Order: sequence, then structure tokens, then C-alpha cells
Amino acid sequence: MKKIYLYIGLGVLLGFSSCSEKDLLDTVPSTSISDANAFGSASRILGLVNGAYDAVKGASLYGGRYLLYCDVRGEDFINVTANSYTAYESWNNSYNSGSNDINNLWSQAYTAINNANILIAGLSTSNGVISDTLNTQYTAEAKYIRALCYFSLVTVYATPYNADQGASKGLPLRLHAETDGSNNDLARSTVAEVYAQILSDLDAAEANLPDSYSSDLLNTTRAHKSTAIALKTRVYLTMSNFAKVVEEAAKIVPQTTAPFSTTSYSVKHALQPDITTLFGTTYTTTESIFSMPMTSTDSYSGQSAIGYIYNANSEYYLNPSGILGNAQWGSSDKRRSLLRVASNLYYLKKYAKASPYVDYIPVIRYAEVLLNYAEAAAQTGNLTLATNLLKAVHARSDANYTFADADIATAAALVATIGVERRIELLGEGYRSGDLLRNLQTIPAKGSSSLQANAVEPSASNYIFPAPNNELTTNKLY
Amino acid sequence: MKQILSALLLLSLSLGAAAQSRRISGKVTAKDNDSPIPGVSVKTAGKAIGVQTDAEGHFTIEVPEGVTSLEFTYIGYQKISVPISGATVNAKLESTTSGLNEVVVVGYGTQTKREFTGAAARISGALVKDAPVQSFDQALSGRAAGVSIASPNGVLNNPPVIRIRGVNSISLSSYPLVVIDGIPVNTGNISTSTSVPNNPLSDIDPADIESIDVLKDAASTSIYGSRAAAGVLLITTKRGREGKAKVVYDAWGSLTKAARLPKLLDATGYMKYKNEAVYNAKILGGNENNSNVASALFFPNYNADGSLVNTSWYDYIYRTAYSQNHNISVSGGNKTTNYYLSANYSNQQGFVVDNEFKRKSLRFNVDHEVTKWFRIKAGGAYNTTFNQSQNTGSLPNSTFLLIGAARLATALAPNVSVYNEDGSYNLSSTGTLGMGNNLVTNTLWNAKALFDLSSYTTENDRFQGNVGGTIKLPYHFELNTTYAMDRLRTENNTWLSSQLGSSGYSVGGSATNVSALRNNWDWASTLSFNNKYLKHHVTALLGYDVQKFETNSWGAYATVAADNFFTNYEGSYTTVAASGNGRSEKAFISYFSRITYDFNNKYFLTANFRRDGNSALGANSKFGNFGGVSVGWLVSEEGFYRRLNISHVVDNVKLRASWGRVGNGNVSNDYASQSLYSASLYGSAATWYLSQAGNPDLAWETSKQTNLGIDLGLLNNRIQVEGTWFNNDVNGLILSAPQSASKGIPDNAILMNVGSMYNRGWELGVTASVIRKENFSWDAGFNYTHINNKVTALASGNSDIIGYTHTSSEASNVTRVGYSVGSLYGAKTDGVNPENGRRIFINKAGEKVQYSAAVASGESNWTYLDGTTASAISASDYYLLGNALPKWYGGLSNNFRYKNFDLGVNITYAGGNYVMNGTKATLRDQRFYNNYTDISKRWTTVGQVTDIPRLVYNDQISNGSSYPISANVEKGDFLRLQSLTLGYRVPSRVFGTSGITSARVYASGNNLFLLTGYTGTDPESSSNGNSNTTPGIEKNAVGQGRTFTVGINVGF
Repeated sequence: MKKIYLYIGLGVLLGFSSCSEKDLLDTVPSTSISDANAFGSASRILGLVNGAYDAVKGASLYGGRYLLYCDVRGEDFINVTANSYTAYESWNNSYNSGSNDINNLWSQAYTAINNANILIAGLSTSNGVISDTLNTQYTAEAKYIRALCYFSLVTVYATPYNADQGASKGLPLRLHAETDGSNNDLARSTVAEVYAQILSDLDAAEANLPDSYSSDLLNTTRAHKSTAIALKTRVYLTMSNFAKVVEEAAKIVPQTTAPFSTTSYSVKHALQPDITTLFGTTYTTTESIFSMPMTSTDSYSGQSAIGYIYNANSEYYLNPSGILGNAQWGSSDKRRSLLRVASNLYYLKKYAKASPYVDYIPVIRYAEVLLNYAEAAAQTGNLTLATNLLKAVHARSDANYTFADADIATAAALVATIGVERRIELLGEGYRSGDLLRNLQTIPAKGSSSLQANAVEPSASNYIFPAPNNELTTNKLY
Repeated sequence: MKQILSALLLLSLSLGAAAQSRRISGKVTAKDNDSPIPGVSVKTAGKAIGVQTDAEGHFTIEVPEGVTSLEFTYIGYQKISVPISGATVNAKLESTTSGLNEVVVVGYGTQTKREFTGAAARISGALVKDAPVQSFDQALSGRAAGVSIASPNGVLNNPPVIRIRGVNSISLSSYPLVVIDGIPVNTGNISTSTSVPNNPLSDIDPADIESIDVLKDAASTSIYGSRAAAGVLLITTKRGREGKAKVVYDAWGSLTKAARLPKLLDATGYMKYKNEAVYNAKILGGNENNSNVASALFFPNYNADGSLVNTSWYDYIYRTAYSQNHNISVSGGNKTTNYYLSANYSNQQGFVVDNEFKRKSLRFNVDHEVTKWFRIKAGGAYNTTFNQSQNTGSLPNSTFLLIGAARLATALAPNVSVYNEDGSYNLSSTGTLGMGNNLVTNTLWNAKALFDLSSYTTENDRFQGNVGGTIKLPYHFELNTTYAMDRLRTENNTWLSSQLGSSGYSVGGSATNVSALRNNWDWASTLSFNNKYLKHHVTALLGYDVQKFETNSWGAYATVAADNFFTNYEGSYTTVAASGNGRSEKAFISYFSRITYDFNNKYFLTANFRRDGNSALGANSKFGNFGGVSVGWLVSEEGFYRRLNISHVVDNVKLRASWGRVGNGNVSNDYASQSLYSASLYGSAATWYLSQAGNPDLAWETSKQTNLGIDLGLLNNRIQVEGTWFNNDVNGLILSAPQSASKGIPDNAILMNVGSMYNRGWELGVTASVIRKENFSWDAGFNYTHINNKVTALASGNSDIIGYTHTSSEASNVTRVGYSVGSLYGAKTDGVNPENGRRIFINKAGEKVQYSAAVASGESNWTYLDGTTASAISASDYYLLGNALPKWYGGLSNNFRYKNFDLGVNITYAGGNYVMNGTKATLRDQRFYNNYTDISKRWTTVGQVTDIPRLVYNDQISNGSSYPISANVEKGDFLRLQSLTLGYRVPSRVFGTSGITSARVYASGNNLFLLTGYTGTDPESSSNGNSNTTPGIEKNAVGQGRTFTVGINVGF
């Protein structure tokens, strides 16, 4: 009898130890991989590259809303809903440090920067998994992404470069991968230092990016040499370094008369005959130098989608006294077909697809490069080239329009005319804030009978975005 | 074995027969309700063998000559001795709800209250079974000292906010460990939608619960080691008892209405005040003479009969809700086999339209004695529960959703109609509420259309079962093993119509189904020893427990319905994407032991030790050691005490002291310590990206708890007093340590063990049998807890942890060293400037600045009182505005019985805290939102002193809509009549031969009144649910309803 007890007792005790501690406690997820394996295969490294681009595509950034913030600050749109979740605070320039947009935009851009930094760091120690050529190329792509993000931040969160040649405090310049709890405190570099880093990254990117990829889709959604060059024209223009704009633009716009197109590299960037094909039909033409791809399985919806805000929910209409009423934008101009009318109000329909919102979001277009080039050419005295470039962009959509002599006769007049053309051509693509700020112009007042937004002088604190709380509360050196 | 027993029985019988004996018979009934008690042990004093009462409480016993009294004992009742006077002896047993022999369920075993030296409270299942609730935890308010339970909102089946001795963590859950018949179960909210909650504890039929034991101090909880830092709720379900089958039928029906709704402006008032705001904005904007700027934007609308449209949106959002609940159980058994079987049907409505809860459940418990040395027990319960609700904006992370019903109810314009003349919904071109003649754009939905065109449900299918055996070994050892399984499948469905007026209109209609399977098993085995040798009583326990949780979920999100006919995911849609996918597992391995020793029933010692392994923690720190020691001294058993005069008043005195160390590693993320990369898409290309920055050193939070207590029994134990002082030092708090956003770390946070805090306080529980007469009795219970929470250290440099309500612009709470966790946070205000009606704020320098939402171009919205330009108030100007955690709380219950009537009054109270009445900001919102009638007190004339600023259209700052302001902070003290119950026990003579043995009918009211200075809907509201770091926020949430119930309990 007693022996039976003993056996039973022993049996149960053995049962205790039969479950292996290790098997039970060392759990690993089956839907994500550990950091040790992230650079383990060629396809994973490519995944990390695409992941960094995808961070740029965050809803708050080039997924669309960054464009919205930059456009509605200007005078060309009127807000309807007074909803702070759809950029009302940007519209009336009332952002504070706690505003969602301010915190989310900052976080998203720095997430993309960190993804790029992780990629750069990982590639520098990765051996044998991918070829050296590919390793160098991916590093260049990461640097392009980092440059684009720093530029996107420095133009809204910091004093414009032209105000004091970049002497003001700019951004914390994070150039190393951050994956643990250290390094919270980092002082801001000056605006000039940030621009120097952006340009150094873009130069390195230009050197090591490929000429082209294997498909139109990749040529539009990943950076190649012309992408870095095109972005440089924007950066130098923002710094009013016109000579450098001309130098960079000439690499991808070698002609002096229309038609203009890239010849030195295998992606032959050029204007498309009809601008409307870029929006809603073919997103990957040679005019779209860099765009954010959208698919039904990877797109945004609701207030995260600018197609919803501009079009489906009609939250902004075009200010009748803004660019909409400008004589340079003729009634037969093809670009007017990118608007729709409802109750006598004009709404933007560059992002017109109904849900799912799969319209690609443009980041760099060849038309912009031509206008950057035109402005720099005008500023550096080459009025003929400037006029040719301006006309190429305008005539594509309104061939019958003739510029009055007074509008193009002098460098100053031509620059102003190009400025108007930018507002027509690039409406809703996120340029207005940058153009006002780099020229140190007052953000004009605007409003309707029910909602008004006051003018903002360059000296006002709300001329730029306030620093976000999520940085202020954690970075003591900010 | 059987033979031996029979022989013993025979022996005792023959011995009895040999002596002179007589036959005594009688009946045993319960003192409080006169119902017969079967199974009571009846014996003569000093003898081991006796008889048991039958199903009707009758017994017959042979007693030897010279015996003068009989002893009656039964678990849960006080043992009594009744003198023999004639051939009939009737006994009335008194329930020992507070006696020293009451059984206390402790981890992996039981102790008597006498032996128990920790801090615990027992709540009888009878207190929860008749409450009109969905889950038992909702009914525990005010029932036990140290246990605070609040309903965060009035939506059915949302998890209550439970705090056992305060907030014991910052980032981890402060919800206690819930152990049902031995297996720790999932708690919290398992719904995937922010519209409809799903508290998995509602899968337990409250009527199946025998008792709820709350373990509060470390010495009691440390047997659960790392799982128990927030306390433990041990749920024991009912089991059968020896005797004839007993059938009980319980049913109740109830009616619930919304309570304390704010009084809103009607159509005329709405237009008056809104247009005043529009005109003020025009003047202040310097546009007095500018005809392009409107002077009025709100205009009347008329019905077909010419009457003014005046819509009360409350009528479309709130309703009178009806609920019913039925329960039937059969239990009984013989000497070797006992069984309990029950079935439940519950169908409940919430007072918000479309809010429903349904449950069907079956439970079966059986115990069987196979041989004298081997017993098996098994149980199983299967249930389905169904939850449905519209979005109310009341659940965490839904406060600012435009579809939130609570805000729609107050904010929608009253001067437009619900329907157009043709019967269609009154909608704008984008599907929001049509504004008729008003010239403003409305972003809020037409509640009626929204409700009709959407549904959110979550439904559980669950089986819980356990099987176990006990083997009695020689030398007083016992081996116990139990395997339990808990398999819970949840289906979460959301459908939004493609029709205009639905929030899914812009995506062409959508349907989302997410299915989740939570598989949880636990195998626990113990070897125990229990022996008394002379005056020494020793028990020892050695155990091993392994538990594994697996959670798999998957689902899909379909958009662009082929036709608006479809109302579910199974219809036809154009686009389908994966949604809600997840897969994780977590395991615990534990070794534990307990030793108790008592000497002469006077000196008691208990020691626990547990070693826990937790898979979720860092590779370097998966194991932790925990334990506790407690001692008790029953002073009143000492000879010297008995000689004191005071012993005639104070019969029982027991001193208790304990110290223990428990841990908390209940991170919600099963892989919290690991650095992980996740996959996604970039357009159509596959991606990997850093999705979690890990910390291989992530370890337990540890709580060191000290507990000193005294238990007193006064006036023949008619008054029982328990007083306890406690101190809980929590170290190594796991915090989502905020990282500079510029580091680009996912969610800007990494989990780290940083920070510490304490909870210190005392609690007092008093129960008293004030009056106990044949026809009238009055029992009273009172408990009070005083608690002080203070954070003593935080992450690097002690920087504040900011808590957000739903969005990062609503920084509503701050956890700061030197203050309690989650204190209220926001901009400090100083009333309204009588000169100009502007809200005055205090900036970080302590200067007064005033705000005007409208100013002429070139002027600043923010100025000092002298008119010079000031910086805008931003988060850097925020102040800590007040403590959000109640400093004291408790309950008061009174039970009266007069003849067949019983009356129960249960009052709860809490206070010492502040509540952010964020809803007030919405009620004063100066957009197109409707306002409450108090808006009439707004500033209008120079010199006027008021707390409502001048109305300026689109002003979102002055009243706290953009960010929290101190003007909306109010004291949260309250006293609530939680429940009032009047019952009537039908006299047994009425039943005749019907077979009915007892019947009681009752009527009760819940939340009948609330005494509070708080002006919001409910001071217990919590827009952030159970969150530790963001308590005390009421914003756009529905309050608690008021419920009237009638019910019946019938026994056969």
C-alpha cells in the first residue's frame, strides 16, 4: 500500500520536471524578427530599405498630410470644418507644442531618419550577405531618405535659412542608429549645419545611387541619381543659392529650349503632354521623379488620407481671392480640370480617387525642377532660359496663353511670375509654406464669412511650427 | 477502506447500544431566514461520531445517558451547543460571515480566519448574484475595505476600475489577478473595437459564485509571487453538498435610465447664444463694418406645419432599457458524490440605444470520493456572451471620435430635424447632420442615421474546465493536482453601411471581422502536510504551477460594398485587407511553498516562498524570487487577558503582522523585452522596420509590503472590527520610459525598470449585529480605507511622465516625483477678466495672460492684462492641477429584517481626489456645438464677474476644448446609494405540497442617488478606463444609469 503512494508521488514529481523551462520561457514571436536577424538575408535588407521609404510615407509625412499642412498655411485654401484633426491649426497658424500634427510630423520624420540610420549602420557592418555594389547603393538610398526628412523638418520647424544665413538653432542632428534608452539629450545644430548635412548626404547619394531601376514603378518610388539631383535644386533654391540650383538642374535639364528632358541618365525625365494623366491615371511616368506609392492594401483612409480631407469630405475649398482668381490661370488651362465645383466653390481633385485612397502622393515632379531652374536662371540673369522653362510648364497646360511682356521683362517680374506659376502648377503638392518662408514673405490673411485666419509676419513666433512636446519634455538640451 | 469504516460505525453503534441511551430528534434551520439546513453535523459533545441533518434539516440521534447538550456544526455557520430539554431539540444556526472559524480561501488552499494572519476580505456570492450587472466584479463596490471599484461609464460590460490598496504600478495593469477555481484568467477588455467593450469576466455567471476572496497584503499574495502585485481575487464556484437534490431558481427583470444628464439649450436658446458668439467674433476681429463677415450664422428651421424645429437629441441616443436574467441550479449529492449544475440566461439592455448584453451559460461541478484516500473533482462551464454597442466615446481612446454618442447627444444642433420632410435622414452632402438654414459646416454625425447604419459587436464562446485529484498519503501528507483549461474564442464584428449618413460612407461601406482565440492552460500540483501534535499545528505546502497563454487573432477589413444591402462581412466587397492579425504566447513556471505553524491556537506563523519564471521578461532576468512572512497572536486566548475586565467587552483580540515581497511582470506585450522588426508594405513591396526597441534587462517590478493589523470581537462577537495599517514600497517600476522623439524610436518609448513609489494607508472594517431578535434584526457593515500614493523616483532625471487622453494634444495627466500617480495636468486659469470677458491663464512664469479667440489682424490673441503681446499658453506652461486618486473610500451596508421582510442598503463613498470635468468644455464649446443652459451666465458686460468667458465663435481654448484647463477641475468627493433592496420571504406554509421550500421576492434600485458637489455626470467616470497614468478624466463619456429591479428567488 505504502509503496503505491510512493510511486504515485514520484510519478507526479517527475511530471513536474518534464516540462522544460527553456521551451516554455524562451518564447519568440512568429510575426516579427529579432534585431539579431534583421540583416540576415538579402531580401530582408531590401525589406529594410523599403521600410525606410515606407516611414517617409507615414500619414503625417509624405503619406499626404505634410503636404496638406504646408499648403493650407498659405492663402490659397479656405477651411470649412474648423477641425483641428484636419489641419485647422495649420490653416489659421495656431499650432502649439501639444498639437497632434506638430508631434506626429516630428516623430514620423525622425522615425524615417532613424530607419535610415539603422540601415546605414547595419550595412556598414554587414559582410557577404549582399554585394558591395548593392551595399553602397542601399547606403545612398538611406542618405537620400535622411536628407529628404531633415529638409522637410528644417523648413517648417526652424527659422528660414534666408533670415540669417542659417545662424539660428535648427534641429537635433541625429546621424546614428538609436535602438536603446541612451542619448535622449542632444542639442540643436544650427540651420546652416542641418543644410550642410542635407547637401552632404545628397551629394553622397548622387554618387552612389543607380541610374535607374528595372521598372517605372521603382524609378518613381525609389531614389536614383536624378532624384537626389532634383532634391538638391529644391534645397539650394530654399537657401537662395541660385548658382548651385542652375548647376544641379542643368544635370537633368541639359537643354536651353523646350522640349526639356533628362538625357544623361537612363530615366528620361520629361513633362507629360497632359498633366491630368499624372493624377489618377499613370502615376509612374518620367515626370514623377519621386512619389509615394499607394495600393489598396497599403494606403490611408479617413483623416489620414488627404484625398478624404480635400475631396471626399470637402474640408478645404480654393480661396476665390487666392491663386484661383489669378489671370495667369486661364479658364482653358488644363490644370483647372484638376478642380471640381460644388455650390460655386472650387475643390482640389488632384487626389480624387474614392476610397481606398490609392492616388500616389507626389514628392518631386519634373515640372518643379523646371520651375526651380527657371527661378534660379532668372535670379542669375539668364532671362531667356528662365522664360523658356516657365513657358514649357505653362504651355503644357495652356498652349494659347501668352505672357505679358511686363510679366517677364525683368528678372524681378519674371521671378514673381514664376512664383505665380508655382502656385498654379504645384497647388496641393505642399509647396506654399516653403515658398513663402524662403522669401521671408508674410503669410497672408484669408477667410470666409464664418472663419478667418490672420496674417502672420515673419517676425511672429507662429511663422514657423513650434517645437513638439515629445521632444521638449525628453531632450533637455533642445 | 470501506470495511474499516463500516466496522468503526458498527463499533460506535454497538457501543451506543450497550449504554443507556435515548433518542432525540429535531430540526436545524438558518437563523436569518428560517430555511432548513441539510448536512449539519449533529453530535454529542466530545464524541467524534454524529449524524447529519437530512434535506429538510431533520435529524434523529441516539445519545447516551448523562449527555446534556448537542453540538451542531456546519461550514459557514457558527458552531452552537444546545441543551437537551426533552425529546426534541431544534437549533437555529447563525451564519459566520465574520466568525473566527470562517474559512478563508488562500492561494492553493484554505485556512480558518483564526489561523489567517494576512490581510484578506471575503465577499459572499449571495451579494452579487441578484445585482443587475454583467460581471460579478461590477457588483463589488463598497463591499470590502481596501478594495475600490468604480464604473468608468454606463456602457454595458466594460471592465470596472478595480484598485486593491491603490495603484500599484504605472505602466502595467493595476487590475488584480483573478483566479477562478484555481486558474488565473484573462482580464481587462478583450474587444478590438473602441465602441463595444468585452470584459471576459462576464463569462462567469455571478449566480455560480460561492465566494470571492480578496487577498490584499504581500504575505497572502506572495504565494502568487510575480502575478499578484495588484492583489488577488480568488473566485470559488458553487459545488454540491450532501443531501437531497436542491433546486434554486433566481430571476430578475430591470429597467435602466440615464441619470444626471446635463440640461441643454433648446433651438431658440441655441440660435441666440451661437449668434451672439458669431457677432462677438466679428466685432473682435475688427470686421464690425465688413459686410463680407457674417453677423449671424444660425437661423431657424420650420416643420411642415410651420412650427419651429426643436430636436431633443437625447430622445434618439438614450432610452429606457429593459433587462432580464434567469438562473436555475440543481445541486446535491450523497456521501461520496456531490454535484452542482446550473444554467443561466441573461438578456440586458443599456440605456444608450443599441447597447446590449446577452449570456447563455451552463456549469457543472462534481466531486467524487473514489476511495477513502482518493478524491477527484472536476468542473466545466460553457458560455456564449454577446455584446453590442454604438460608439459612445466613453471607452479608452475614443474620447474625441466624431461618432461618439455621448458627445453627439449634447453637441448636435437642436434647431435642425432628424429627418427631412420626405422621411429621409437630414444629412449634409458628406453625410454629417444637415444644418438646414444654419450657415455653418457641421462635422458631427446625425446620430439616428449613424446608429441605424452601423453596428459593433463582440461575442465570446468559452469553455472553462478543470479536473483534479487528491490523494491522501500516509504521515498526514496529501498530494493534489489540478489541470485547468480555458479556451475563449472571441469574434469582433464591425459593420458600417455604404449609405450616406454612415461613418463608413467615405470608404464605400466597410465590414471588419476579427477572430481571436485565447487558449490558456494551467497545471498546478501541490504536496501538503497537515498535522496537529499536542498543541502544535503544522501545515506545509510544496507546489509547482505552470501556465501558458496563447493568443492568436486574425481577421479582415473589407471596404467598398457591392451594394448597400450588405450588413455584414460575409457580403460582397471590392477590397479586402488583413486586419487584427496577431500571434503570441506567454508562459509562467513557478515553484512555491508555504509553511504555517500555530501553537495552542494562540500563536500563528505563515511563511510563503515562490520562484517565478516569466517568458515576457528580458533574457537576463526571467526568474524572480518572492515571498512573505506573517505572524498572528490571539491575545484573547491568553490567560492573563481572560482575567482582564476588558475581556468581558472585547471577547477576541488578535494581532497580525506581515511582510512580503511580490513582483509584477504582467507586461501586456508578450515579447516586451525584445528588439523586434516587423513586416509591412511599401506600396506593393515588402518591408521590414524596427517596430519595438527592446530591453534585455527588463525585470520584475517588486513590491515590498508591510502590514500590521488588529482584529477585535466585541460584545459576544456581535461587533467585529478589523484594522490594518499597510505600506507598499514599489521599486523597479516598469515604465514606458519616454524617449526623445528625435531618436525615432517606435512609439518614442522603451520599457525599463526605473522609478519607485509607495502606497501607504490604513483600512478599517466593522461589522455589527446591532439588533438580533426573533422578528427583527439589523446588521451593519462599514469599511473605510485611507490611502496615500506618492511617486518617489522616475526615469532618467525624474522627468515627468505625461498621460494623454486619446490624442497627444490632450495632455491631461502627469506622473511627477513627489505627487500621486497620474495627477491632473493642464493650463492654469484664473477666472474671467471682468473688464473684457477674456479667460485669464497663468503662464509658467506665474504671469496672467488673457486670451481672445478673435482679434483684428496685427493684434495678438494672447495678451498680458495691460494689452501687450504675450506668448501663447502651451504645454510648457502646464501645471499639476490636483491629485486624481481618491484618498479615502469605502462602503456602508445595512441589512434589516422584520419578520419576512428584508431591507438592504448599500452605500459607497470616496473622495479626496479631483476630477477633470472635461465634458464641461464640450458643454461650453464655442463651435457649432449646442451648449448647456448654464451658458446664460457668460460674460456680457464690463465689470461682470462670472466664470464663463465672453462667447466668441470658434473659441476652442477659453473653455478647455483644445487642452485641459484648471477651471474644469472639480472635487470628486461623493456618496452614492449604490443599492437599496426590499425583499419579502413568502411564508413556507403557503407552499403546501407544491414542492417549493422557499421563495423570496424583492425589488431594488441601483445608483438611486448621488450626493456630490461634482457638476459633471459622475465623479467615478474614467474616460481612460483602467489606465494608471490617466485617471480622473471625464470627457465626452456616458455616465452611469439608474436601475430598478424586481426579482425572485425560489428553492425546491
